Amino acid sequence: MHSLTFRQMSKAYGGVPALSDVSLTLTGGRVHALMGENGAGKSTLIKLIAGVVGADSLSVEKDGVPLPLASAQDAHDAGFRFIHQELNIVPQISVAENVLLGRPYPRRFGLAVDWPRVRAMAREALAFLGAAHIDVAGLAGDLPAGDKMLIKIAAALVADEGRQADLYVLDEPTAALTGEESEMLFAVIARLTAKGAAVLYVSHRIDEVMAICDDVTVLRDGRHVSTGPVAGLSKDQIIHAMTGRDVQDAYPPRRHPIGAEVVAEVSGAADFTLRAGEILGVAGLAEAGQSQLLGLFMGLGRTHDTQVRVMGGPTPATPAEAWARGIAYLPRERRAEGLMLDMSIRANVVLPHLGRYGLRAKAGAERRDAAAMSAKMRVKYDHIDQPVGQLSGGNQQKVVFARALYGQPKLLLLDEPTRGVDVGAKFDIYTTVRDLSAQGCAIILTSSDLPEMLGMCDRILVLQDGRQTEILDTEGLTSAALLTHFYPPEAAHLTQRPSMTSSAQ
Amino acid sequence: MTKTLRQSGTLLGFAAIIVFFAVQLPETFLTARNLINISQQLSMLAVVAATMTIVMVMNDFDLSVGSMASLAGIVAATVFTMDYPIWTALLAALLVGAAGGLFNGFLVSVIGILPFVATLGTLTVFSGLAFLISDGKTIFGRDIPAGFSGFARGGIELGDVRIPFLTVTAALVILVCWFVLEQTTFGRRLYAIGGNKEAAHLAGIKVKRLRLLAFGLTGLGAAGAGLMYAARVASANPTQGSGLMLDAIAAVFLGMTMSRQGEPRVLFTLVGVLILGILDNGLTQMQVDSYIREILVGLIVIAAVAVASFSKRR
Repeated sequence: MHSLTFRQMSKAYGGVPALSDVSLTLTGGRVHALMGENGAGKSTLIKLIAGVVGADSLSVEKDGVPLPLASAQDAHDAGFRFIHQELNIVPQISVAENVLLGRPYPRRFGLAVDWPRVRAMAREALAFLGAAHIDVAGLAGDLPAGDKMLIKIAAALVADEGRQADLYVLDEPTAALTGEESEMLFAVIARLTAKGAAVLYVSHRIDEVMAICDDVTVLRDGRHVSTGPVAGLSKDQIIHAMTGRDVQDAYPPRRHPIGAEVVAEVSGAADFTLRAGEILGVAGLAEAGQSQLLGLFMGLGRTHDTQVRVMGGPTPATPAEAWARGIAYLPRERRAEGLMLDMSIRANVVLPHLGRYGLRAKAGAERRDAAAMSAKMRVKYDHIDQPVGQLSGGNQQKVVFARALYGQPKLLLLDEPTRGVDVGAKFDIYTTVRDLSAQGCAIILTSSDLPEMLGMCDRILVLQDGRQTEILDTEGLTSAALLTHFYPPEAAHLTQRPSMTSSAQ
Repeated sequence: MTKTLRQSGTLLGFAAIIVFFAVQLPETFLTARNLINISQQLSMLAVVAATMTIVMVMNDFDLSVGSMASLAGIVAATVFTMDYPIWTALLAALLVGAAGGLFNGFLVSVIGILPFVATLGTLTVFSGLAFLISDGKTIFGRDIPAGFSGFARGGIELGDVRIPFLTVTAALVILVCWFVLEQTTFGRRLYAIGGNKEAAHLAGIKVKRLRLLAFGLTGLGAAGAGLMYAARVASANPTQGSGLMLDAIAAVFLGMTMSRQGEPRVLFTLVGVLILGILDNGLTQMQVDSYIREILVGLIVIAAVAVASFSKRR
């Protein structure tokens, strides 16, 4: 088994240290977790190892022999492979081409691409991952998120033509995956380590780390806090190391009763009544129709067989109408659907509410209001006119929340509100959601983080293939029990509801 | 540091150009008469570039502004030949501009065609219409009323100098565009669309409607510039606006190199217009071949944008 030692990693940006004198030893056959809040220096550390950012200081040894690491090519030659959280596959080309992306294609007579061989190589790599079900000739863009992640891992494997790389760095690999897909990934990680590779596993999810990692290193504010075996550590100890403070209750409990006023009534593919102050979860396997159900309230997509009444009126026809009627929305993809990254915090927060200022824009009032909302969300920023793209992931998400809070919504739709958000920011978000609920705002929440759903929701609506199958009370419900409801029983349904995913746009 | 350099680079270049011409042409360049002349020469470009900024704020383009300017001139001149009063001709031309712009907006936002393709199509359509209406001929002489062409020759007397009406018109258009983009919620929304169309839509911005409207304003501006041009040369021919489009886009690009996040801003666009206008004026006075002038302008735009995108990356 190989041993990789990274010594005295330091990097400062414009005089501000992002990483100070951190050392790390990784051993073949072991999964090493790297944890820390947003801004703790995890990304910087990965970039140094990947050779994409020049280090201020860094030395690498493999089994005691020094290795050069000055460029991405050095990192690749050293046998380091990186799998990032963004699923940046090329959607318009086939799975096989994605797997071989950037590699020389096998050719016949040195000329024409040997397509059967290309597909065979891709199939082989996927089969190694236990993902033989993926059609290598199909378009990569058509696959669910979990399969896309597997394609990326397969691409990293193919790069070595069967030879095992020494180190796999996985950066938040489960951020876009469902529980089931994550399990598959964990099996792949087990296979990689069984063959002697070291794995550096970056994740916010403590449960995951405790389940699959052997060692853990915690960073805080660019400095090394602790390193040690995971066995024997408690969740609270890890959180304490990450945040430097004692753990509060992970989920603030409900303190106010649910109101009597009906905020929304839905019948058809889904069937429920939502009351003021209630938090309703929407759960199911990946792409079972969660986002579509939330989208109905924003006027995104239509179903002919689902009737929705919101606050006594029909469904809003457009997002503009929805916001005007007091429905706030936090989309799933923060960067693609939520924020204008180059624009200021101010512009992002006040955007849906510009009408309140009249025809004439009022910079002073906008600044004041955006600052007030950001303060409520405890956004950390230098200046309210700072581009949102400069903030950390957790703070960016808080800006999207600040936007939603601004209008004092009567109905709040949350699609994966804590994806890629650190522990401290998560707690702030949960507190906000509870406060809103206490003020009578009805909330619909969907999340792939099941403990979060159980901790925050009053009831959980389960979707299978775009249809509601049941609504569960969260009182006494466990993640494992909830999960069993996601899968269809063997017997056919007695009452088939019309599907939301097939008739929605 | 690199950011300030990037932002001020274009401004420094602008200053360097002025100093260069002031040294090369000590007698004629920095005179009130020449400066007023420059302001009049570039007034049409200023109007097109300022209104072009409105669509470029949303990351859109309008390639049809040049042929729209030609068409508007032809429409006004044709109405003149039918002996209608001047104001009806102006109104007709501006209505054609707004309608053409809205049609662009319709293609882009409702049908969903890429702005590049849609306005490349309407560029040809507007140009063809201008030829069709004018029968390919220049309309001039007695057909153009003196009240119309006189406007371009008149001005506001301020002591010794006379500020041409064309310059005043351009200044007013720039002021209005600045106000609309920087001081109204409408402008804020356009910038949001430019920042992220999908996110803007989900945040309740009426993206389709605003894009439609913005293209309408750009068309209106192009028609206005076409009228100014026709008045200045006291004639209308179906190709006279064709040079405006590339210069207008170049001016907006030059301006974008000066803003914080590389977004278009009207006042920076004005600097871009001034750079192009002053180069034109100075090089003409130095009797530099106009083909060389074109090469220079192209290289300057490329250099400014290259420096900006290079320093932005790091």
